[in-house]
Amino acid sequence: MSEELKQRSAEAKIGDSQITLMKGNEAIAHAAIRYGVDGYFGYPITPQSEIIETLMDEAPWETTGMVVLQAESEVAAINMVYGGAGCGKYAMTTSSSPGMSLKQEGISYLAGAELPCLLVNVQRGGPGLGTIQPGQADYFQTVKGGGHGDYKLITLAPNSVQEMADLVGLGFELAFKYNNPACILTDGIIGQMMEKVRLPEFKARRTEAEIRKQCPWATLGKSADREPNIVTSLEMDPALMEMRNIKFQSKYKTIEENEVRYEAINCEDADYILVAFGSSARICLKTVELAREEGIKVGLIRPITLWPFPSKAICEYAQKVKGILVVEMNAGQMIEDVRLAVNGTIPVEHYGRMGGIVPTPEGVLDGFKDKIIK
Amino acid sequence: MLQEIVISGFGGQGVLSMGKILAYSGIMEDKEVSWFPAYGPEQRGGTANVTVIVSDKPISSPVVNKYDVAIVLNQPSLDKFEPKLKPGGILIYDSYGINKKPERKDINVYCINAMEESTKMQNTKVFNMIILGGLLKISPIVQIENVMEGLKKSLPERHHKLLPMNEKAILLGMEKIELEQRAV
Repeated sequence: MSEELKQRSAEAKIGDSQITLMKGNEAIAHAAIRYGVDGYFGYPITPQSEIIETLMDEAPWETTGMVVLQAESEVAAINMVYGGAGCGKYAMTTSSSPGMSLKQEGISYLAGAELPCLLVNVQRGGPGLGTIQPGQADYFQTVKGGGHGDYKLITLAPNSVQEMADLVGLGFELAFKYNNPACILTDGIIGQMMEKVRLPEFKARRTEAEIRKQCPWATLGKSADREPNIVTSLEMDPALMEMRNIKFQSKYKTIEENEVRYEAINCEDADYILVAFGSSARICLKTVELAREEGIKVGLIRPITLWPFPSKAICEYAQKVKGILVVEMNAGQMIEDVRLAVNGTIPVEHYGRMGGIVPTPEGVLDGFKDKIIK
Repeated sequence: MLQEIVISGFGGQGVLSMGKILAYSGIMEDKEVSWFPAYGPEQRGGTANVTVIVSDKPISSPVVNKYDVAIVLNQPSLDKFEPKLKPGGILIYDSYGINKKPERKDINVYCINAMEESTKMQNTKVFNMIILGGLLKISPIVQIENVMEGLKKSLPERHHKLLPMNEKAILLGMEKIELEQRAV
């Protein structure tokens, strides 16, 4: 890797506003450096290895001082994130499906200790080691809590290389606003494809004084004028632990009220609606075009935040249409949230491909006719 | 303008980089582009293909099932993508290693002996540029000046001395591509 990569990033540095061509994975790496991230801890796995490769190639420890470390395992990496986040640093890790499973214990601890950090899952087909081709079957794991306990991950689903870059910043912003881990849930299509991207502006890494101000809870060394900060998810007294849980739930409610993001395309005059996220939403966009060429009025709702889920918007659109098709690269996961939002008022069906097979726009259209129009 | 193109051949033939140069050239013309490789466990010697879309408007799906142009550089690729061409679409193949020719009558078929020509040039590495030249002759998706700009951008500087040879290969491809069948 690469001379060519160096050339491309050199280009990106010349003018901040310059448009360049790169993979989604590369965009994540560049966006992290530009956001002023303090530490990346990862372990390579297809289809996301270009993230750590790009970071190693860019060598940001020589420029911004950002630490890039290939850990001995995914488990080690997520616990390094815990350590970094405990000090109020911008810490992140990335992996793909099997690697994310290994990180789940650490993610539950991060949520339990209310530590902000950024996770990226470039999903592949599963279960088990599965395939290296794209999948979206980690929706449940990410949105419903793959680790133990009542916790939530702020989950962002990019549908383009541009959004891969943009959601890095948003992820950190939301994580630090609510002291909660955030996860970019993407897949091998968006990770591997190249598109035009305008990288975000360079931001300087925060100074220690700035971190102390932003994160008064951070374990950066105790000063004489305060009690020690303790970062932990352990609480031996169940009454206090329940209080903590109540506090978490109230925080989650605030996030659900304030941070829902989605895109509604061609929904205003639609008779039917497709709901899809990430790369599936791109495929569905083409299906919408094909359907409209045939005179069938189809729209698309694309959740950008998978949690908090745009339940209210979907519920409102459901009043105006005859049926909804949920399209995912899995056996039917997000459909449960769509059905909850619609609450039985109109038919909600599922079209999915699994195990690394990518649906085609024509295949989705056939599935739509078969399951919704009948 | 929307061109949905698939380039397919053996790993190592320069399929992915040819797609990348095409995508870069599109950017030089301020067009929307997407480049999506079928990434698999096998590389050199295995089959590789890439979908490149160049458009005036934002691109909906980077993954498509029907193509305007299919460039097929071995028999398995021809077998796989000939049925996926839109009626009236363009099929470009290199006759080297092809024993079963295209059969559809509703597509435009072009042949280019790029393998042979690159051997004559004593540089088989420009094989993919000869093919690209052929494509640009029959479907001027991008201007050749922009291809050269795109090449400059996608090649590391230490390889810039190879630019004239690549340009020569592109021009040769433009000259050598032959219409074999017009769509009926």
